[in-house]
Amino acid sequence: MANVMFSNVRIFDGSGDQPFQGEVLVSGNRIARVAKSGYGARNVPLVGATVVDGAGAFLMPGMVEAHTHFSWNDQPGLDAIQRMPPEEHILWCAQVAERYLDMGWTSCVGAAAAKPRLDVVIRNAINDGTIVGPRYLAASQEITVPGGLGDTTQPHLPQPEFAFGAVVSGCEEMRRCVRMFAKYGVDSLKINLSGESITGMPSEMSQFTQDEIATCVQEAKAWGKRVAAHARSTWSIKQCVKQGIEVIYHASFTDEEALDLLEAHKKEHFIAPGLAWLINTCHHASEWGITPAVARGMGYFRELEAAIESMQALRRRGVRILPGGDYGFAWTPHGTNAKDLETFVRLVGMSPMEALLSATAWGGPMMRMGADQLGVIREGALADILLVDGDPLADITVLQDKARILAVMKDGEFHRAPPVRASRATRWAA
Amino acid sequence: MNDTLFTNVRILDGSSALPWSGSVLVSGNRIRQVGRGPAPLAPAGASVIDGAGATLMPGLCEAHTHFSWNDAATLSAIQRMPLEEHVLWCAKVARRYLEAGWTSCVGAACAKPRLDVVIRNAINCGQIKGPRYLAASQEITVPGGLGDETLPHLPFPEFSFGVNVNGADEMRKVVRMFLKYGVDSIKLNLSGDNFTPDSPAETSWMTDAEVAAAMEEVRLRGKRGTAHARSAASVKQALRHGIDVIYHASFTDEETLDMLEAAKARVFVAPGVAILYAMLNEAEAYGISRAKATAMGYQVEWDAALESLSKMHKRGVRVLPGGDYGFAFTPHCQNARDLEFFVKYLGFTPMEAIESATVHGGQIMMRGHELGLVKEGYLADLLLVDGDPLANLSILREPKRILAVMKDGAFAKAPEIASARSLGRAA
Repeated sequence: MANVMFSNVRIFDGSGDQPFQGEVLVSGNRIARVAKSGYGARNVPLVGATVVDGAGAFLMPGMVEAHTHFSWNDQPGLDAIQRMPPEEHILWCAQVAERYLDMGWTSCVGAAAAKPRLDVVIRNAINDGTIVGPRYLAASQEITVPGGLGDTTQPHLPQPEFAFGAVVSGCEEMRRCVRMFAKYGVDSLKINLSGESITGMPSEMSQFTQDEIATCVQEAKAWGKRVAAHARSTWSIKQCVKQGIEVIYHASFTDEEALDLLEAHKKEHFIAPGLAWLINTCHHASEWGITPAVARGMGYFRELEAAIESMQALRRRGVRILPGGDYGFAWTPHGTNAKDLETFVRLVGMSPMEALLSATAWGGPMMRMGADQLGVIREGALADILLVDGDPLADITVLQDKARILAVMKDGEFHRAPPVRASRATRWAA
Repeated sequence: MNDTLFTNVRILDGSSALPWSGSVLVSGNRIRQVGRGPAPLAPAGASVIDGAGATLMPGLCEAHTHFSWNDAATLSAIQRMPLEEHVLWCAKVARRYLEAGWTSCVGAACAKPRLDVVIRNAINCGQIKGPRYLAASQEITVPGGLGDETLPHLPFPEFSFGVNVNGADEMRKVVRMFLKYGVDSIKLNLSGDNFTPDSPAETSWMTDAEVAAAMEEVRLRGKRGTAHARSAASVKQALRHGIDVIYHASFTDEETLDMLEAAKARVFVAPGVAILYAMLNEAEAYGISRAKATAMGYQVEWDAALESLSKMHKRGVRVLPGGDYGFAFTPHCQNARDLEFFVKYLGFTPMEAIESATVHGGQIMMRGHELGLVKEGYLADLLLVDGDPLANLSILREPKRILAVMKDGAFAKAPEIASARSLGRAA
């Protein structure tokens, strides 16, 4: 692996400081030197390194998607995801994984897969080089209850293969299910604790008994796995804190008690609200029959309002809110995930600096890596680096544009190398 | 799609004509002009590739491909790969074939029901990279025959490498299932194989009623039947039932050869000689010494196959390269070695070996009128090779000597820029 030297770049290092002019030397898969340029600065020695002259471009850590579903296939419903055969499904996941890396997401946290082994297989294939994709933590299917979110069986088609999620009832079934996914090698267990209005079970409704949840958490912890929850309702959010579920997806409906609980335990939890789903279901899904009137009837406008209020409150209380979530439906297509950062600035009240940190520095621990290892530009950290044309601190939307992401480096290797300025029409063989 | 002009290339067109210096213009996915002599054609907006004397030839066709064989040493190890991993494996292998110069492959059987179909579809819709591909069924076999990998205490069909059928009705049902899945061909294991000692190569296994039922369904849907046929009886059975693609054909007698010759306008033989050679000479690391291979019958089969195939070649039967790459002892993408075997052991000239992989390849792909030649109007499946394959066929299995691979007018492997720059500039 050749060393790469980024010179003449504006460095956003993920520490919360303003970007500075400087140079970054990558050696192997790690960042070897970060140097400020300017009067009296000593230049990094160049010997043996490929030099990338950034011409003032913005260099930042690769982004972390905190709530990823590679196996959602950009379709308008759960049924259309479930009906994709496993062979096609795995190729789809491989294709999507590469798309995320293309768009600058060098790490993704799997939030649930549509078939039992999809996430695990994709993670392994990325790690052994069979396919190209981000660093990945593999999730289980969604674990749910009969009639709950993710139980897409029908009375006359009760076969479990028809279900989007893994349907369990009772502590022993829960335990067996968690063990099966642990055996398959997932990094995290996903449990659906609340409803989801589009499926007919409103988001404010909750599911599972406390005992079942406790069994899930206990068994997952015994295997060293993380638990993540679909938790839109107030009760389900509180359950996450009370039962030690680290990753909370959505968290739309909070009350004072829920906010207090989260604030008191803010070091132990990550929130990835997936606001794009609420926004786009309300405003951008008419093409698929979900007009604003329909969305309003389902309760999504009310939920969007509640979720924004909750996120504003959680942000003020210093709870970590991370980007990503529920991209992979027809009206939230994969690859548009950086829209979340714009939403954080526009609706949640984050500064552009906070939004950028939520996608980088806070992503390291979300990936279960040390805060000095991933999501930062500092000596010794893993070399996951983006080179961006423009200043995301001035305009957070530049990160949504693939053309503005000039280069993507993961683990010291370019997935997308910076363009060579003058390319030639004539190629010579031999 | 931009036009591409190859100038200063030595054109080996696949037709048995001697190579000549010239230039080739590709427009869209077709070869638009083939020029003789040094004068370049007007490029008008085309990307120009100066071949610097490299050989430009048709892309190669593999006539007997198993993407889903996973370079393991046993059928059971192929079968034990889970479905998800298996699909990704196939996708990776498909890409490797293309980059190695195989722009077309004829699927000869896959290890799980839908693998070949899914890979073909993914290639065709651009989701993955791979050769033009004809998708096969699993091997259809009978209980105890080659491919029945169930064990008495594990009788579950999922354990089986092939699909086991018993009787014409079961055969019809299974063939219909594969046709529903969208295969291009149905593979029948008519003979045994020395790889499975309980069903060796010279044994034959299917009843005529079973084969007839399969071929009736195949014809109804306009598809193709292919056969694993090592024994003379199985080759004759295949020919009797109108099976056009015959894999192996090791053992023949006069009657078999006469039947093959009589059907030579429609029949293709893809013997897969590499596996016979490898079992005898190169499988020791996997526990198969020469003595063991000989005891399994491989020496007898090797001798018989060389004689049979040499005679077929003399009688004008098309013998094509490819076959049974994908085992530990015959790893994928060494397939061009077959061309060397053809010359060394079967009496082919190097030019005939090239034809077997190009012009005959277009024919087995059922596109002989537009595939397999460097010819105006033909599909632009082209290789740029550093060196002269007629002088040294082994360069075709050296990745570095395959300078460029074009499929359907687009580069699958673009020629390197001679003066590559180390300095990338952003913005």
